[in-house]
Amino acid sequence: MATPRARWAAEADVDEDLQEMEYVQNGQVYDDTLFQQPIDEATLIAMQQAMAQQAAFAQIPDVVKGFIVHFHQAVLDNNLAEITVAYESGWNKYTEKFYSRTEWPEAEIIAPLVNDDPIFLILYRELYYRHVYSRLQPNVDDRFHSYENSCELFNYLLNSEGPVQLELPEQWLWDIIDEFIYQFQVFCTWRSKVKSKTEDELSMLADGGPVWSSYSVLNVLYSLIQKSKINEYIAAHQAGKTAEEIAEIVGEYGSRPIYRHLGYFSIIGLLRVHVLLGDFTLALKVMENVELNQKSPYTRVTACTVATYYYVGFCYIMLRRYPDAIRTFVSILNWIMRMRQYHTRSYQYDQISKTGDRMYALFAICNALSPSRLDDNIANISKERYGEQFAKMVRGQEDAIPAFKELFLYACPKFINANSPPYDDPAALNALLVPGSPDPSSPDSADSSDPAHRHLSLLLSDVVAQSSVPTLRSFLKLYTSLGAKKLANFLDADEEDMVQQLMVMKQASRSVTHVTGGKGLLDGETASTSDLNFVIDENMVHIAESTMGRRYAGWFIKNTERTQKLLDDLKNQPLPAAPKAGVAVPVAPVVAEPARTGGPKVAWGGVKVAA
Amino acid sequence: MASSWVSPTTRTDLIEDLVSGVDRYNPSNVGILEDYLYHQIRSQEYDCLANLAILKLYQFNPDLYNPDVVINILIKALTASPLPDFNLCISLLDERPINATLDEPDPLPSLLPTLKHLSDLLYRCRFPAFWETYQSDALENLRDNYTVECVGFEDSVREVAIRAVTATFTRISADRLASYLDLNGADLAAYVDKKGWKMEGSVVTIPPNPDNQIEATVVQENIKLAQLTKLISHGANM
Repeated sequence: MATPRARWAAEADVDEDLQEMEYVQNGQVYDDTLFQQPIDEATLIAMQQAMAQQAAFAQIPDVVKGFIVHFHQAVLDNNLAEITVAYESGWNKYTEKFYSRTEWPEAEIIAPLVNDDPIFLILYRELYYRHVYSRLQPNVDDRFHSYENSCELFNYLLNSEGPVQLELPEQWLWDIIDEFIYQFQVFCTWRSKVKSKTEDELSMLADGGPVWSSYSVLNVLYSLIQKSKINEYIAAHQAGKTAEEIAEIVGEYGSRPIYRHLGYFSIIGLLRVHVLLGDFTLALKVMENVELNQKSPYTRVTACTVATYYYVGFCYIMLRRYPDAIRTFVSILNWIMRMRQYHTRSYQYDQISKTGDRMYALFAICNALSPSRLDDNIANISKERYGEQFAKMVRGQEDAIPAFKELFLYACPKFINANSPPYDDPAALNALLVPGSPDPSSPDSADSSDPAHRHLSLLLSDVVAQSSVPTLRSFLKLYTSLGAKKLANFLDADEEDMVQQLMVMKQASRSVTHVTGGKGLLDGETASTSDLNFVIDENMVHIAESTMGRRYAGWFIKNTERTQKLLDDLKNQPLPAAPKAGVAVPVAPVVAEPARTGGPKVAWGGVKVAA
Repeated sequence: MASSWVSPTTRTDLIEDLVSGVDRYNPSNVGILEDYLYHQIRSQEYDCLANLAILKLYQFNPDLYNPDVVINILIKALTASPLPDFNLCISLLDERPINATLDEPDPLPSLLPTLKHLSDLLYRCRFPAFWETYQSDALENLRDNYTVECVGFEDSVREVAIRAVTATFTRISADRLASYLDLNGADLAAYVDKKGWKMEGSVVTIPPNPDNQIEATVVQENIKLAQLTKLISHGANM
């Protein structure tokens, strides 16, 4: 650190440097150039730019310059620990301090600090644009340039001669893929709003070509997957192959962590892109080889794990596989709860808890459509947060629809249209802009151009189809058998209509569910999902209800483990040296323990209600 | 989804490569998949994932769009109810600007609401209403131009009803079944016979199956060894 700092100290005296330069320039002008030939405009502009850059450079605080030099050195050394510190804390610290409302200095400005290292400048721009997207409003140039920069980065990784020697922390690699898709999504959303575009923006969009096209985004992700042979890696890993065998299989790219991680994150990226484009089966199909469990080494990147479960769970909802969706959400929500103590410190904590919140909302939707007793604790938290909507959804009357709509639109992914409006065809574009254009579905036309509403309407039509189920269920629960006519009278419904509703109810209590050992996430078998079963014998409805026996094991196991831990802690305490200290020390853990027993108490209460 | 849905036995290796590989994105393969769709239509086969691959290509390449293919895909998906196939197809149908390059007017916008309505009736098990709507004059265009080409379409609809009835009933009156299947007299008797069901007088008996056998049970908890590993290992270390 000492040497570089000395260097900026020399450069820090801005004004002096600048004055000196002007002086020299002036000198030049008077001495020879003026009398020989006028300075041509290009030179003048170049000079002015150089001066502007000098000035901008001079404005960078010294600590930031120091940070960049240090960061660059860490990347050069492939020093993961130092890169992580710079990436996770340094960057955020200086963002808060100096750049919370403005851009970081442009890459060209800081280039002298890093000897114009092109790779570091690409990485720097990656951070620069991410900051613009998250803290500021990207303009049309930012949108196009961030795409170009991503392409340069991926080009470098994929099309250099042989694997590159760079190493980056997993977290950053995940963020690179995540941000790439996020910017793609933001771009598509921005692009689909034809109104309120400036001339400049219109002309850039018209000539945009492959910029942020679905094909180019998919191309990057598939290339990373293929280059890294990550699917082969996962398969070999699952087959229990030795490290040497795996290295043989995955080749020179796949053996390097940077490619392996990028490959894995690209699979998750594909899952996300396919969901955004409304292809829920393909989304699950690309996950074919990934084992969804929390023992995977990639759980170290919390944000990746959370995103994976969110998108998988959402796919299951759109496949009408509510029990699978519930299982997916329950498992990740419990994990988030367990991990909370570690990741509150993480800079992504906000994002994770927001996604968690949306999953509680999706859980409420699933639980309304397919009641489950899988995890009372999660169900209670979901009810605490979305109790009002949940009550409306389970009642199944007409105010159920607004409640489903509200939660779905809050919690669903940010869907995109795959294609651009016809910016290259002014006539067609104008047709779109004219209000009341000849659209056959005029009342919904505002909604129907938004893909989220298209998916929403599919869910809602299923909801409407099932709307009589809760009422039927509440009646059936009271009987072991009753005549169809009598039931129809209770409901004030036509008997035949009611029989058809009973078939819907039966249908709704069956679902394709994942079976252990099944291949891939799409695979599954039809299973019963309801505790209330019935059958119609001509005109007689027979009902049977399954009940849960009271559950004790979890409670006893948890408390035994806790007691054991307490005992161990006590035994490991050093013997008191003096009586005073001896009293204080052992008490602390005993007092600390009850704070953590809040969870199980709730679970126990829940079980009691059930029994 | 059952494995026969994920990969039907009738799917050829060529199609499997397209469905599972990156070649699915290659616009020049759309013809192969479209031919396969028409093969499904002629031979009462069905391959949802292959058909979704066509819609995916249309989604990315609007100039490939062929409304007749989309309509046929939706017709095939209709009779997969209660599986979500129809919805999965709709999810991939992006809003498209009115296409001026087609030779004739696009039939999809006018047929889409009809198809959605039919799908809804099937999903809601409103079988008599389905038949009434399907046979109405308003749907003549759909019948004469599309479903007539789809071999066994009406029988596939009957299969949807059969699935619902099999799960829900132990016995059902012949009249009710007739209204669900849109079959009467000798046709109904033949159909019931073909299914191996028994008709006695005016009542049809559905053979026992996991869905129409009900039993009240008490689910007891099972404790797995894995849950106890911590306790046991701790005991061993004492």
